[in-house]
Amino acid sequence: MPKHIFRLLCLILGFVVVALIAMPLLTVDSFYRFGHYRADSVPEIAAQEPVYQTARYCLTCHTPRVAQWSANSHKTVTCEVCHGPAQGHPANGKLPIPKDAVKLCTLCHEAMPGRPHTQPQIEVAQHNAYTSSGLQCTSCHNPHSPKMATALVTVAGNAAAGKQRAESCASCHGTEGISPNDTWPNLAGQNAAYLARILAAYKSGDQQDVAMTPLANELSNADIQNLAAYYAGLSCKASSGGKPPGDAAAGKTLAKNCAGCHGDTGIGSNPAWPNLAAQKPGYLVNVLKAFRAGLRKDPMMAGVSRGLSDTDIENLAAYYATQSCQRPTQERKAP
Amino acid sequence: MDPIIAVAPYTGWVYPNETVFEWSVLIAVYPYLTGLVAGAFTVSSLYQVFGFERLKPVAHLALLTSLCFMIFVPTPLLLHLGHPERAFNSTITPHLTSAMAAFGFFASFYVALLILEGWFAYRPFIVAQAQKRTDLLGRFYRLLTLGSYDLSEHSMRYDRKWIFALAVIGIPAAHGLHGYVGFMYGSLKSREWWASDLMPVIFLFSAIISGVALLVVLYVASCKLRKIPVDAACVKGLAYTIWAFIMVAIVLEALAFANLVYKGREGVDMIMQYVTGPLLVPYFVLQFGIGAITPFLLLSYMIWRGTAGKALVVGVTICAVLVLFSVFMMRWNVVIGGQEISKTGKGLLSYQMPLFGKEGALVAITLTLAPLALLYALTRLFPPWADKAKLTDAGSH
Amino acid sequence: MKEESKLSLEARRAFLGKLGLAATCTGAALGVGALGTIQTATAKSEPAASGARSGTAAEGGSFPTPDYDWTQHQWAFGVDATKCIGCLRCVEACKLENNVPRNAHQFRTWVERYVYLDGEQSARIDSQQDPVNIEASGSEKEFRFANRYKDAKVDKAFFVPKLCNHCTHPACVQVCPTGATYRTKDGVVLIDHEYCIGCRYCVQACPYGARYFDEERGVSDKCTWCYHRITKGLQPACVEVCPVGARVFGDTRDKQSPISLFIRNNRVQVLRPESGNAPNVFYVGIDKEVN
Repeated sequence: MPKHIFRLLCLILGFVVVALIAMPLLTVDSFYRFGHYRADSVPEIAAQEPVYQTARYCLTCHTPRVAQWSANSHKTVTCEVCHGPAQGHPANGKLPIPKDAVKLCTLCHEAMPGRPHTQPQIEVAQHNAYTSSGLQCTSCHNPHSPKMATALVTVAGNAAAGKQRAESCASCHGTEGISPNDTWPNLAGQNAAYLARILAAYKSGDQQDVAMTPLANELSNADIQNLAAYYAGLSCKASSGGKPPGDAAAGKTLAKNCAGCHGDTGIGSNPAWPNLAAQKPGYLVNVLKAFRAGLRKDPMMAGVSRGLSDTDIENLAAYYATQSCQRPTQERKAP
Repeated sequence: MDPIIAVAPYTGWVYPNETVFEWSVLIAVYPYLTGLVAGAFTVSSLYQVFGFERLKPVAHLALLTSLCFMIFVPTPLLLHLGHPERAFNSTITPHLTSAMAAFGFFASFYVALLILEGWFAYRPFIVAQAQKRTDLLGRFYRLLTLGSYDLSEHSMRYDRKWIFALAVIGIPAAHGLHGYVGFMYGSLKSREWWASDLMPVIFLFSAIISGVALLVVLYVASCKLRKIPVDAACVKGLAYTIWAFIMVAIVLEALAFANLVYKGREGVDMIMQYVTGPLLVPYFVLQFGIGAITPFLLLSYMIWRGTAGKALVVGVTICAVLVLFSVFMMRWNVVIGGQEISKTGKGLLSYQMPLFGKEGALVAITLTLAPLALLYALTRLFPPWADKAKLTDAGSH
Repeated sequence: MKEESKLSLEARRAFLGKLGLAATCTGAALGVGALGTIQTATAKSEPAASGARSGTAAEGGSFPTPDYDWTQHQWAFGVDATKCIGCLRCVEACKLENNVPRNAHQFRTWVERYVYLDGEQSARIDSQQDPVNIEASGSEKEFRFANRYKDAKVDKAFFVPKLCNHCTHPACVQVCPTGATYRTKDGVVLIDHEYCIGCRYCVQACPYGARYFDEERGVSDKCTWCYHRITKGLQPACVEVCPVGARVFGDTRDKQSPISLFIRNNRVQVLRPESGNAPNVFYVGIDKEVN
């Protein structure tokens, strides 16, 4: 064989041998262990730290909040959906509290074709008293327990029986449902569904009051229904006794935030919530302060009353007290 | 922060991830280059193996051309990869179910084959230069001799056998080198425009005509530059080759398209909308009409009429240029066109080719023309001209 | 002539001598190298020999982590498109959990909206990359469906979440030239970001459009079913945050897992069954035009 062929063959052979040796040498560690891939990459991927921590993580420190959240309809919306992932919290500081509630809440709750009807949806522009002038969803809805007690309570009581039973209530609430002093609330003309609900709450212990609790314990469910029907049918009167302390005009401005549930003048659309118009101002002050302190329990009221100062509360009370309790267009329905 | 990705406009419904084109013009250039390699080699083999004597003037030029383009073949891929430094991963641990893993092996094997065949063909020239020169180039040639100056008939017989063997092996190797590219597209289930059993064959036949056409242009240009008369018989031989293969290429492409339309699978509406809309000019007018049918008719006419001499050379050169253009359009219409039809079958995207940038038009043009610069340099080092140097042929065929 | 042949004979001998020496040295080097290779090769294959059977580490511990043995699980995913409200919290959560590029064109998961308007035969489909939706959300980093059909007469509409199907016969794994993407023993298709060369063949091959190319990292990427979470007993981030339970995940080996119940109690289907990929994301409530 000519020597150039021989040398060429040596070169080729050398190259092939080098290549054959180089291939396994250059192959990265752990390749081919389980298949045609680098086995080490699996634990590398598995070792990444999770960013979202789940609600169980929040439970350790935010126990009451998580308890509240898990008792209401947002329990399927994990904390981190609204507050962002909790990795690094609390070491890196607080998690954001969303400021623009409308932007966030409407992501799920804006009525949109394609959303199943099981999803609570609203036509944003027409939702209760919402206008585009800054009223946020959180004004009425506590995001941690957004579902409000609604007027599912139908009152089918007997007003006459209620009148009889109401004799023992008259010492505080008046014979005609108009309270003799500033502290105890008027009941005349109040929404029957609200009355039934709050009496039931006193009875069950959901709501506690030094005076009302023992009294409500003595009421049967039928009594509650009858009382509610009776008081709802009474005629209300403008509060007597001069001008209440507090700036009613300032209160009127504040009351815009309350209008969603309680109406512009304290006469609300939902019978589950109390009318405030012509209510005793002293009572209103006490009860708002009680809400603010958490002594009177309502998740929504707790939220909206948190930011109220004592002056605000007085002003609001003054405003509502001076409103007419007559429902302008609606006729009083006798039970 | 400036967006890193270029987002493509679209109509209809496309998957969100599709709005970024993954394979750019460089991925159309790549099969174009390998096609030219395969086609040029076919010309060389037609002479070395099939005994087309009239192609002797271009045989070694074809070999050099094939080598020059082969050297540049990896460049569009390396520029495209997200991690070019890891490019050898597919050669060290080739995933054998992937057609793309074949690249490392086919490419290396083919480069080696081309270098080898060239070496054998040029050995007498190399030996002569090694003995004659005393400068640095002389060292270079001496290195290439592998220390042997043996040009005896005994040795030359070996050389001729090797050239023949390499030319024979080279034909299926070239088909593999370019055929796997077609298989890469044809085997995918995700795009109706690509999924065709005929795809590798279509790629191959269009590759061959592009390579032959390139040789026509290069040969005529080289004759003009060297101021020697063009061998009209050689040009006619090349013309016959183009003519034969372009018929098959046209038929195959037409068949593939007809099958697609006839089967009318899901998504065909969008394909029809695309082909009669944005693709009408690039596909039917440029690729088919101007680039394929016209040269075919022109060639047919010249063959029928027995055109000879200057008219033949001019006519065939025009056809060759059209064919080169058509084959690039074919690569473009497959690679870019396939991505412009959404996987949903309900939308179309629009590729916006950047001018600058790593994968822009300028880079694409540069990579396509750079092999010609290399070829010019190589023709000085290794003159392929039959009238200038005595080069070895396969001889007995 | 004779002079020349004598000279060339000597030259030949000298060269052959040098060649012989070189060959011996090379041979020795190659021999040592070969020995070393055999040792390395056997060392590398040893764990495979014992481990390949059980898929566990050579030391006998569980793989891939001490607390998680991948041979004990077979994961699957379910999507109930009748429940999806299109809130896109899943899209957001996935981007944050997995460091996905914050834009509207590269997603590991996304939601599609199908709307049939009155009088139209085919659905109008849109998703997060639609400019109208990008505008509604305010930026490419936030996600929201624009309420573009609220004043239209809509016949039928619904949302369909999409993600990587982690197919049993993945087309993407088949076409990867290096072996950077693969299917684990617990049924998850993963990408090795240290090995991927960024050729994007897998992105082309996926019939579902589940993959994208991460320009910054230079590798292809896709949904991993939050492998780093599921190996720690957590749910994928998208499943965790879905407020309506449209996404279901679990171990098919556990007959009482959410996914096993989902598959058993519903008529489930997969996307593009004709592709032969055998996807492992099971859909309830999709429609004729969903692919």
